[in-house]
Amino acid sequence: MVQPVLDVAGLEKSFDDIHAVRGVSFHIDPGETYGLLGPNGAGKTTTISIASGLLEADAGMVKVVGETMTTKTLGPKAAVGLVPQDVAIYPDLTARENLRFFGRLYGMEKARLGSRVDEVLDVIGLSERADDRADEFSGGMKRRLNIGIGLLHQPTLLILDEPTVGVDPQSRNAILESVEQLSAEGLAVLYTTHYMEEAERLCDRVGIIDQGEIKAEGTRRELVRLVGQSDRVRIAVAGTSHKAVEALRTLPGVREAIASDGAIELIADRAAQVLAESLRIVTDAGASVTSVEVEEPDLEAVFLHLTGKALRD
Amino acid sequence: MTAAFTIAIKDLAQRIRDRSVFIIGIIAPLALAFIFNAIFGGGISDVGENITLDIGVVDEDRGPIATAFTEVLADIESGGFIELTTYPDEAAGRVGAENGEVGAVYVLGPSLSSDIISGSGAALTVIGNVDAPTTTQIASSIAEEFTLAVRRGNTAAVAALIAGSIGPDELEAVARDAGQTPSALALGTVEAATRQLDPTTYFVAGLSVFFLFFIAGMSVTSMLDERREGTLGRLLAAPISPGSIVAGKSITSVIIALVAMLILVIASTFLMGADWGSPLGVAVLAFAAVLAIVAIMTLVGGFAHTAEQAGNLQSIVAVTLAMLGGTFVPISGEGFLSTLSLITPNAWFLRGLGDMAGGSIADGLPAFVVLMVIAAVAGTTGLLLVRRSVRV
Repeated sequence: MVQPVLDVAGLEKSFDDIHAVRGVSFHIDPGETYGLLGPNGAGKTTTISIASGLLEADAGMVKVVGETMTTKTLGPKAAVGLVPQDVAIYPDLTARENLRFFGRLYGMEKARLGSRVDEVLDVIGLSERADDRADEFSGGMKRRLNIGIGLLHQPTLLILDEPTVGVDPQSRNAILESVEQLSAEGLAVLYTTHYMEEAERLCDRVGIIDQGEIKAEGTRRELVRLVGQSDRVRIAVAGTSHKAVEALRTLPGVREAIASDGAIELIADRAAQVLAESLRIVTDAGASVTSVEVEEPDLEAVFLHLTGKALRD
Repeated sequence: MTAAFTIAIKDLAQRIRDRSVFIIGIIAPLALAFIFNAIFGGGISDVGENITLDIGVVDEDRGPIATAFTEVLADIESGGFIELTTYPDEAAGRVGAENGEVGAVYVLGPSLSSDIISGSGAALTVIGNVDAPTTTQIASSIAEEFTLAVRRGNTAAVAALIAGSIGPDELEAVARDAGQTPSALALGTVEAATRQLDPTTYFVAGLSVFFLFFIAGMSVTSMLDERREGTLGRLLAAPISPGSIVAGKSITSVIIALVAMLILVIASTFLMGADWGSPLGVAVLAFAAVLAIVAIMTLVGGFAHTAEQAGNLQSIVAVTLAMLGGTFVPISGEGFLSTLSLITPNAWFLRGLGDMAGGSIADGLPAFVVLMVIAAVAGTTGLLLVRRSVRV
């Protein structure tokens, strides 16, 4: 069995009368991107603050690459790269100085540090502005530097706390592409967001969190199944379709097939798996396809179903 | 410790870019020292090693007590510390003080001696020039010492009379003999003067210490600023101990304070003629003072939750300790204020410099030890308090 990069079990945390985290448990495997999806105040930041050793849990356990993480343990901290929600850089230092400073704090060797700083500047697209002070940067550039600091020491686990909040669409897309690239390179990522689209785009698995509790967890598809929804495929056709409908009902992965108003509607477990074969069946039956629509239930619907409220409430 | 130095180096780079550290650490103390020197130098005719106070005297009594007092003044004058001007009457003396001929005038009233001898009470008046507060203060101190000595002599004379060892006709002679006592005291005063700093050095040293408080205060405010800016969380997420963050901030403050002190000592020596004494002694004492001040500011900052709160608290403490420690107005004598001043690093630093100026480096040892004790006690308590601030 593969050892999880991050293993969180039964976390509890209260601030005075506010019970911020209630029995949160999840794990992240190597190379996996895990999303914590929930509205503001759901307990996401508190959870990752404990996971990154900034806060002490009242109860429960966090292990990073097998070592228990607390505010005092230094070993697990070296394995984590934290990208806080608010930009945490020194505005009166240059981008290079910011990176070098944090690199030294993580114990990077001087010789390695120089080349690694250049690599990261390249990754975050700030090579041209490396020696400019950070307070001269745009908001998006500061965000990228914020991420670069988290990446610098080549952590095993990258924790990003709502990294796209307040970012313009162009910078947001650049950040998401960076995360996708890092994930593709095998980095384990814990990504918190209240943007459903980001969780769907980036995360292998998602934990839906609200009022300090993980309400449900799994792949996007598993979560959708939890609420009993499947993909709906509408194939508009010209010509007879009854023969096609009969054939489609026998297709594995198709739960239902009906003909209606010049179209065939399918209820499928996963549209992508049956779509190509369905179109072949329809054309083989003598009908011609004029258009195809696929409607997938999304995590917004799942969140609504689980909590009775919208993600951005 | 590597992390602490890494943080200190980063902080130093930031502080050097933030030019306020030069203003608060060097330019402001120097500028204020110039101003203070000009203000307090009003009644002082020669600033430097040989200080001479211009003082007038009106002797309308010419009795034994008045004569004893003028002899005391003559002794002091012969030591070069004061320059006496005699006025025929109180009106002339008052005019002399008002127009600045002298910084202060003693008025010995017509019946001073007889009133003292008869025990009916008498006043020795000091008329001061408003522009020469230091001269007036010193003149008053001399008068107080003399009055105290006369009172002791009078008591002795009365006691002798009651005991029958002298007759009433000998009373005046006993009182006069007792009145001579201040001559010996005056010698003591001259000795004490050699163990004091000249006014320029005194004020530059005092103001330097005062401003070191503001530099030292940056250690805690910087940490609270980092918390506000979110970078403290990033430091705490790194594999370093929270203690190294506090240590790094303190190292920064100590280094900047020492550099500022060094520049102030050199600049005031060459620009203003300040005489700090032995470079080694000053260096050691300044190091202890900086540690004590950083420790006190850490302690004070430990009570704050925001950088603004810390700044306000630290300013109040810096000004209070400066006043108690004699930075603005020298505290002399053995009164409550003088005792209270001993809780301040300001007073001990000035005392240490004074002791070394009048003796050897070893004479500064008590002040050094006290400053180190202040540093240890305040520093330990402060670190415990500041640990609360090292959190997200």
